[in-house]
Amino acid sequence: MNLMPSVRIALMSIKLVMRTKTALFFTFIFPLIFLFVYAGLFAHGHPEAVLYMFGPVVTLNVMGSGFWGLGMQSVMQRERGSLRRYRLAPIGPGSIVFSNLLANYLLELPTIALLVFCATVFFHMPLKINLFTLLVLVTVGVFAFAGFGLTISSVANTMQEAQVFNNVAWFTLLFLSGVTVPLPMLPQWIQGFAAFLPATYLVNSFQAIMVGGHSLYDQRAEMLVLVVSGTFGLLFAWKLFRWEKEEKISTRAKLLSTTFVVPFLVMGIWMIERGSLAATSKETFSFISQPPAAEEQHLASGDSILLNNFESPEEPEEILKTWQVSTEANAPGRSLGEFEVISPGADGTAQALRFKGRVESASGSERGAVTARYPFTLPAGAPSMRGIQFEVRGDGRLFQVKLDPPDPTLPIPTLAFIPDSKWQSVRLPAAWLAAPSPAPRKSTMVLEFRVDGPPGSFRLDIDEIRFY
Amino acid sequence: MLNDANSVVVRVKDLRKRYGDLEAVRGITFEIKAGEVFGLLGPNGAGKTTTIEILEGLRQPDSGTVSVCGMDPGREQSALKERIGAQLQATVLPDKIRVEEALTLFASFYRQPASIEVLMGRFGLGEKRRTFFEKLSGGQKQRLALALAMVNNPELVLLDEPTVGLDAQLRRDIYALIEQFREEHRTTLMTTHYIEEAERLCDRVAIIDRGQVIALGTPRELVLQSGKGTRIEVSLAKPVSIDRLKQLDAVADCTEADGRYCLHAQPAAPAVAALVRFLEADGNALLDLHIAQPTLEDVFVEMTGRRMED
Repeated sequence: MNLMPSVRIALMSIKLVMRTKTALFFTFIFPLIFLFVYAGLFAHGHPEAVLYMFGPVVTLNVMGSGFWGLGMQSVMQRERGSLRRYRLAPIGPGSIVFSNLLANYLLELPTIALLVFCATVFFHMPLKINLFTLLVLVTVGVFAFAGFGLTISSVANTMQEAQVFNNVAWFTLLFLSGVTVPLPMLPQWIQGFAAFLPATYLVNSFQAIMVGGHSLYDQRAEMLVLVVSGTFGLLFAWKLFRWEKEEKISTRAKLLSTTFVVPFLVMGIWMIERGSLAATSKETFSFISQPPAAEEQHLASGDSILLNNFESPEEPEEILKTWQVSTEANAPGRSLGEFEVISPGADGTAQALRFKGRVESASGSERGAVTARYPFTLPAGAPSMRGIQFEVRGDGRLFQVKLDPPDPTLPIPTLAFIPDSKWQSVRLPAAWLAAPSPAPRKSTMVLEFRVDGPPGSFRLDIDEIRFY
Repeated sequence: MLNDANSVVVRVKDLRKRYGDLEAVRGITFEIKAGEVFGLLGPNGAGKTTTIEILEGLRQPDSGTVSVCGMDPGREQSALKERIGAQLQATVLPDKIRVEEALTLFASFYRQPASIEVLMGRFGLGEKRRTFFEKLSGGQKQRLALALAMVNNPELVLLDEPTVGLDAQLRRDIYALIEQFREEHRTTLMTTHYIEEAERLCDRVAIIDRGQVIALGTPRELVLQSGKGTRIEVSLAKPVSIDRLKQLDAVADCTEADGRYCLHAQPAAPAVAALVRFLEADGNALLDLHIAQPTLEDVFVEMTGRRMED
């Protein structure tokens, strides 16, 4: 197949979009509105929350361009009669389908760049994804939803029909796939249903990579099913292509097009069996479900109980004795972590603790990780406190902190943070501290700082650990 | 550049096409020779557009054989489209595409495109090269549609109602362009329901009614074949019997409407002389006399009993 006609038509389509105010608005401005709404209203200024929401915003945009851009445009071209002029030229249906796909993709790239720019500049989102991975995710997403939109446009006989089909698919994906409401917040049965929806895979992949530090390779199954479904969609669009609005699709062809859902059925069943989708979405959601306070917290001594400020007169070696480092059991000896006492500490204090080392990929698809553990005895007065607060600074990597509760039935407070080079306060709420306990609780607890994600060195300075 | 004279460029035999219960084309047969301007003339719904769209490869016939430039339009579409140029009854392009861009884009699809500059000059679009399609007048859109039909320098041009909806001046402009096709010895097939257009432009005409060719030949041949001959319209001082007028020399038929008599005569001169002698003898006087050659409309009316616009 000669691709040049498709490229020329695609470039012309892009020119036409640039000349149409409505198309410009919906291509470039509308996605930004979603970003500003999501990040402005729901992230409360927390960069890591913006990071979590970036995937849904991109997915929303990619879905919109597939359904309402590409899909409706294909039906409109046919209804309006503008395909007839192309039909007189020596080009086939494949050229038209591919040109629509190409134009849609090429228009998507600057939109995504704009989203990244606005998210990083206005919401200080750390770009925890390399550009190649982002490009792959966007490409696969655009391809998959282009297939979806094109399948609908192939099956719909009129604009009205296409709108009905689009609305059904659009709203289902919008509300049940984690695009608007995080999956872990939805009822269990909806989470099961979400495993059959393509948008879930894209949202989940974005969040797993950008928030959870997973690799593209970890998400290979999700990527594969999106590519397969996109390919199905393109094949349907090509085979069921109609130049004229008078041509109606046969019932047999309509039935054939329902096989489009097969990859999602297979994938959904597999995901539910493995439980990996639910696990990943819970993991990433936990990073933002308890966001730290935005402003620095300086507590009066009466409001808090100091746990460790590394200012002890003992030798640094004595200070470090209470801290333990561990690497993932499945990658023993590869990732490394160590501690040192540094000076000065936060807020003009003399000393702080530095947790540093290197994360290495483990064998297979398993990621390396390093954990710093700080076991301590629950101080008297802690039951009147609301959580743990500490000062941190770092190198821009994503860290996770959690507090092992004294009772295994209690929820484990967990949150993710991305410290930069300036000291900042982080709060880890633990509401159960103040809750009455029916049975005596053990008095020891463990505070854990964990780093994983892409291979490379890490550094986290910790100081002023206290109950607040 | 084009085919040898007398070689057949289009051959249609017993073509049939049905849409549900309606048989739009019912056994149409005709041939078009190289360099001819051939017209499919008929009222709306006669089957002209269906026929031309089958030749363009846009529709599949139910039965019959079709050969265009020696190829089957249904099976050899890609190769055929390189050699034909077509103008649709309604050409729809994106609103925001400029004239020059449309020509450049469509020309790029062909192996041997024509010069865009030459086309814009020839079709009077030079000054409109930067104008969006939505801003063009009806005539300019039609000229662009014709220019698009010529972007591959085709040997056969298929025009579907090229002047429909245009005013008289714009029609004449289009006529001039089609005359140019003839001068270039380019084979042209056009459909029309305008008698004047077919008579003026076409070397040969197939008159189509209800999916069938009811007459085929040069406009002159068809008129001569008409049994009614020249039309002589007269107004008389006193009424006269139609039967007596019918008995005059060379008069084949006579009708009367609103006091005006219409004599159909072949040849015309003896009939006029006989009429004058008859009126003198009868003490009657000729108030008004109008002689008109028969038209394709007359042929159509004679063969169908209906006017073309009915």
